[in-house]
Amino acid sequence: MAEKKEVEPTIIDAEHLAKEFKEHSVAEFFKKNKQMLGLYGKVRTLTTVIHEYVTNSLDACEEANILPDITVKISEIATEYYEIEVKDNGPGLTKETVGKALGQLLAGTKFHRMIQSRGQQGIGSSGCTMLAQTTTGKPCKVITGTGKGKPISLELSIDPKHNLPKIANMKEIDRDFRGLAVQAKFKGVLYRDSEQGPLEYLRRTAIANPHAQIKFTDPTGQKFVFKRSAVKVPKPPIAVKPHPKGVTVDEIVTLSKYSDARKVSSFLRSDFDRMGQKSLEEITKKVSFDMNKDPKQLRWDEAEEIVKAFKEINFIAPSSDALRPIGEERITKSLQNIVDPEFMHVLTRKPQVYSGGFPFQVEVSIAYGGKAGRTISGGSDGPQKRLEIMRFANRSPLLFDAGNCAITKAVHSIEWKRYDIKDIDNAPVTVLVNFISVYIPYTGAGKQAIADEEDVIEEIRLALMQSGRKAGRYISGKRKEAERLMKRELFYKYIPEIVTALNAITKTDKDILDKKLRKMVLLKLKLDDEKEAKENGENKKDEGIEVAKKENAHSKDEPEKTEKETKKEKPEPKKEDHKKKTKAKSNKK
Amino acid sequence: MTEKKAKTTKVSREKETPKQIATKIDNMAKGIVTEIKKGIDPEFTTQQRGRSNVEFDEKKGLLRLGEKRTTRNFLNVGHAKKFMQTMLVSAKAYDYLKHNKTASIREIYYELKHTVPNTKENTFEDQTESDSCIVDLEHSVNTIREKLNLHANPKGTLYGDVVLKDKVHHNDKFNCGKLGRGGWSIMSRLEPEEIEIVSCNAKYILVIETAAMYERLVEERFPQKNKCVLIGTGGQAARGTRRLIHRLHKEKNLPVLVFTDGDPYGWYIYSVIKQGSMALAAHSPFMACPEAKYIGMTLDDIETYKLQNVTERMKDGDIKRAKEMMEYPWFQNKEWQAQLKKALKEKVRIEQQALANKSLEFVATEYLPTKIKNKDFLP
Repeated sequence: MAEKKEVEPTIIDAEHLAKEFKEHSVAEFFKKNKQMLGLYGKVRTLTTVIHEYVTNSLDACEEANILPDITVKISEIATEYYEIEVKDNGPGLTKETVGKALGQLLAGTKFHRMIQSRGQQGIGSSGCTMLAQTTTGKPCKVITGTGKGKPISLELSIDPKHNLPKIANMKEIDRDFRGLAVQAKFKGVLYRDSEQGPLEYLRRTAIANPHAQIKFTDPTGQKFVFKRSAVKVPKPPIAVKPHPKGVTVDEIVTLSKYSDARKVSSFLRSDFDRMGQKSLEEITKKVSFDMNKDPKQLRWDEAEEIVKAFKEINFIAPSSDALRPIGEERITKSLQNIVDPEFMHVLTRKPQVYSGGFPFQVEVSIAYGGKAGRTISGGSDGPQKRLEIMRFANRSPLLFDAGNCAITKAVHSIEWKRYDIKDIDNAPVTVLVNFISVYIPYTGAGKQAIADEEDVIEEIRLALMQSGRKAGRYISGKRKEAERLMKRELFYKYIPEIVTALNAITKTDKDILDKKLRKMVLLKLKLDDEKEAKENGENKKDEGIEVAKKENAHSKDEPEKTEKETKKEKPEPKKEDHKKKTKAKSNKK
Repeated sequence: MTEKKAKTTKVSREKETPKQIATKIDNMAKGIVTEIKKGIDPEFTTQQRGRSNVEFDEKKGLLRLGEKRTTRNFLNVGHAKKFMQTMLVSAKAYDYLKHNKTASIREIYYELKHTVPNTKENTFEDQTESDSCIVDLEHSVNTIREKLNLHANPKGTLYGDVVLKDKVHHNDKFNCGKLGRGGWSIMSRLEPEEIEIVSCNAKYILVIETAAMYERLVEERFPQKNKCVLIGTGGQAARGTRRLIHRLHKEKNLPVLVFTDGDPYGWYIYSVIKQGSMALAAHSPFMACPEAKYIGMTLDDIETYKLQNVTERMKDGDIKRAKEMMEYPWFQNKEWQAQLKKALKEKVRIEQQALANKSLEFVATEYLPTKIKNKDFLP
């Protein structure tokens, strides 16, 4: 939802902001600092806009316990000028709330509680309204239907001076519609069918939200449908108060504006988790201002002091009850539905803590074959597959800053060769990692990369290794199967030649020799397999879900019943007339 | 193999009839069929070849094949094709013996080469593959290829006052000094039952590496003037040529002198004639001439005859060869170590034809006679 973020390295900005905070509205601030909110880069901006609308739709549907049906359409009006339409089947917005929800920054329902939410990154849909307005001068068109009364259509813009919505042309329309449809135009953005473009964003959103159905029409008119694979709306996350260790200055400022408390001390106590009397006393000692002042009067620099104090004081760790993983089964179905891999292993690990107290949980999946992997056009060799890393934070796809992300680092830190996955960078493999936490340690305000906390990387690594072992076994099994077939063919093809030659000398029946030799080949390959299986042993623990497509299972063409004696060891090589030190060099395996 | 044994082998080998050899092949094939019927991975045993199984018999001055045996199985990814190829060669050789036909090793290669059904693979990709199977079969049934009715492509020529009789071709008798300038084309099969050395009026055999030098010496009437037999090898001496040199040496008690280019390749030609080759180490007793002497070219000739301006740079291959040869036990004498060291130090080589720098006749009138007169040879 709409919120602005402090960028840690740019303290100057924050100080500047502190002074200006009163004079300028947040809208003004947004206008000047949109790059801080993820709105830089032509491709990235367009993807962020789609993200804001889709996230809002998903959240709204989930809260209303509706299975989301979301339709997204992007049309190119002119170069770097696009129209975006996003429509959902959610609860819709009332006449009274629509302006606030889409036309006022920092106004939303989510600020009053702290939940594991998707909508933590970026600018919110009001930000999109603002962006549309500043780049094209045009208002957004909105249709909203709540199911009660007739749907209404309206045009919405923001008065940036006062951060207030401006609504025009509001009228009832004469058709059945429940949900929200927004149509907005943007300039200076660019559609790309790339790993960071809207299509990939929607694909990954669909994977992480199997209960949602997402339809998409790209600027060339091509249509994509990501079908729903789960028919239950997930349990909504439990609202928890923000933990002091996880809040930022602007969150404190924003929360303070909405607080009913009369004193800063009581505001802190009521709005934050694990805030006891003792902690409050310590904070009071550390800050320079009067904790009895009205929280609505709290200044930016004072909020900074609070954050500083929070960091210095020990708090009880937050509870892990609020974590909501997607779940192994849902990920499995979802990947089957969208990636359709030959093999996959899905694993949801138990909650862990990082930085000495923040609960988090990791879900991973390794999918192989099918549509897994990133397709690149490989020139003369045709399209080729590369490793694809799908990063999610609380189910929300992370498309940017991959290089700085703990997930990427964890994936690359693993020696995949050890799991028999050779050259993973060029394998048709999708690695999915969902990082779940109430407090995601993002690296920056763009919220596109998870900081490489040691505990976090280690946990992701453990999960990946666990899954990697399973995937590796499948992949190497497949390779061995191919080798087995190759070997069999190698022996088989020479049999007719050998049989003809032996027949020419000894007149032995060709069919008998042929059958015997073929049987011998199959028996040898079978014995090789058994020997190998014995050497490898089997894993005791089986965690997670493993799915391999049936048609790819080993095709068994066992030899017909073989006489027992054929398994018996062969006689010693004949020594002929060489008596001493006959080193029969046998290369048999 | 003991000395005694080698002799008995020689005798028994030479007495074996084609029918007996065919029976040997038949027995080998029957053994394999029995293994297959029992469900045992079929295999055949042969002598291991290559440097690791070659020994130098210092006393006799011969290379000998060691006793390391090796087996080839069908059910082994690395052996399967070789196994199949050897079966094909065995069946074909059996067929030749049964029908009293002989073929060159190139002919058997072409006769057996075809595409393996339902593949894009040939039974044999090149002749080296079938050649190697022939050697395997020779060892496996303990005979020589000539007894398998196979022979190499003939190479080499003989010129001089030697009377031969071709016992399998109308008993033709001919004098090799009266066949024109080309002399007699040495056949690849030179077993006594086919070619008989009737008489020989010569004092020694001069073996020459290059065809051009052979022709020069014929033109200069060197054999007539010096009462010698000329044998041109045309590079590395072929099997038949080596057998003929061996037989002339043994049967007519003629000394052997070898004349090659002054480079590691030429010197190795000499060593093969003298001690035998690694590839055919098993046959050295029938082919080598341990008493042979080396007449030239040596690197010392460059100074002696002032040939500095007609030398050539040694190539990388020559250098590599020289280094290998320095390690061979049969090059462990001070004269050859000195030659090889000198070659590696100065990195030059000298061809036989370089003697033409003096004059065309120089080789026939000065170089060879002087060396022979002074017994200026390398061992």
